Amino acid sequence: MTSTIDKLRAIVWRDLLTAIRHRSGFVVTLAGLLIELAAFYFLSRAIGPGFRPGGVEYFPFLMVGTGVYTFFVMSAQAFLSAVQEAQQTGTLEVLMTTSTAPAELLVLSSFSAFAGNLVNLLVYFFAGVAVFRASIHANVLSCVAVLVFSLAIALALGIAAATLQVAFQKGSALLWLLGSGVWFLSGTMFPIQSLPCPLELLARALPLTYAVDGTRQALLEGRSIAAMAPTLAALAGFSLVLLPLALGGLLLSLRRARQDGTLSFY
Amino acid sequence: MDRVEFESVRKIFRHRPALFNWLGRERGGVTIALKDVSFSAGCAEILVLLGPNGSGKTTALKLISTMLLPDAGAVRVGGFDAERDAGRVRRQVGIAVATERSFFPRLSARENLEFFGALDEVSRRERAQRIDAVLRDTGLEEQADTLVMKFSSGMYQRLGIARALVKRPSVLLLDEPTRSLDAANAAHLWTAVRALARQQTTVLLATHNFAEAVAVADRLLLLHRGELLANRPVSDGESAETLRSFYFQMTGEIDEALAPGNRSLR
Repeated sequence: MTSTIDKLRAIVWRDLLTAIRHRSGFVVTLAGLLIELAAFYFLSRAIGPGFRPGGVEYFPFLMVGTGVYTFFVMSAQAFLSAVQEAQQTGTLEVLMTTSTAPAELLVLSSFSAFAGNLVNLLVYFFAGVAVFRASIHANVLSCVAVLVFSLAIALALGIAAATLQVAFQKGSALLWLLGSGVWFLSGTMFPIQSLPCPLELLARALPLTYAVDGTRQALLEGRSIAAMAPTLAALAGFSLVLLPLALGGLLLSLRRARQDGTLSFY
Repeated sequence: MDRVEFESVRKIFRHRPALFNWLGRERGGVTIALKDVSFSAGCAEILVLLGPNGSGKTTALKLISTMLLPDAGAVRVGGFDAERDAGRVRRQVGIAVATERSFFPRLSARENLEFFGALDEVSRRERAQRIDAVLRDTGLEEQADTLVMKFSSGMYQRLGIARALVKRPSVLLLDEPTRSLDAANAAHLWTAVRALARQQTTVLLATHNFAEAVAVADRLLLLHRGELLANRPVSDGESAETLRSFYFQMTGEIDEALAPGNRSLR
């Protein structure tokens, strides 16, 4: 356990130092978040106060939808970039020869990638409330519960992208899918009930839909854990299925890459 | 007991052409990197793998480090199978790869070693002391706090050796360790390698440099096109010229230094 904490500390410290030494990176990210929020604020004003999807104001609805969606995509992207960079420099092969098991190493690395984007998400919500006066009624316990399951699902997506990258050198395919189809099916910008029936059914099969909806229920409506039990159960179900599947896939792809000698192919 | 055992090891790389390969000229097929190779290395022995490019030297080192898996046969380190007990094997093996840039560019030399030391489960208490020692031994003391993106090829190579030594491996694998080093640094490395063997470390060194081979080897493995052509001790005082003659005699290749009329590149 001590050794795992020490490894996690080393990975987070490496990523923090690398991020800091990119100098203006943090400022650019922060500016990007504020500009995005401003765009959604003015969009909601243009649409007018009459549009209240699910009974909440449109700006907080947009803020949560886009914030959670961006967290998922950017976390998976950050983790995938780390794997791609390690392949290009040859670091991945060396990392696979350390005393740390490959699966442990990749899961710890993904935690670090997600931690950075979780900070961005919290800054995004804070700026939405403090600067653009988004009204929230948070239930802290429910928020934590949704966050834990959402993290597990995001972790599974990141690991799945890394698996595709190691196996076929095409981890970006999953991100493309997230970026093209999933964003409009998961209720990011409008309620999924607006979709035609077949698409609504498809939307209900996506874990991101429940992460977005759950965050809205917990953060904007202040629902208790009991009141949002169906959403939490769906999130738990997705976590329990997707995380072991992604980990199993990653282990298989790493084994195949060691067999074929393609660990550093990119 | 032998510390490293290779038992009838066969390694094949399969080249699978892309799906729409008919659009280009990529060739499929197989490369037999190692053909039923058997050898062993004892405790405190320095074994040099000599051979031309593509002879299977690096593949042999990668198999011992668990970066690759064999297609047939067995690789054992300290009695543990590299496929079934990869974790136990990795704890004993340190590898300095020929890929120069397998580091995190925005971390300093010391920070890189701290990171890899943590993944190699070197305790925090011992880590700083060991890192200072390997930086001193590889002549990188003055560059310890320089970002490695500013390093020269030779400095990268020395840092790679330092990284392999931090965990104090019982088996050290060096892949062309003096390729980018000047004469003085190469001679310093050979002295260091002999000192490590005196401390009971088994060293396997891949090279195509005859002077390097006679300078450090206790025993020599001559590999050619994946086949083990010779496995013999290197006698005290054996010259690079003697070894050169032996090499060309065994491989059947033409020594162009002796046959100036034949200038064709093979």
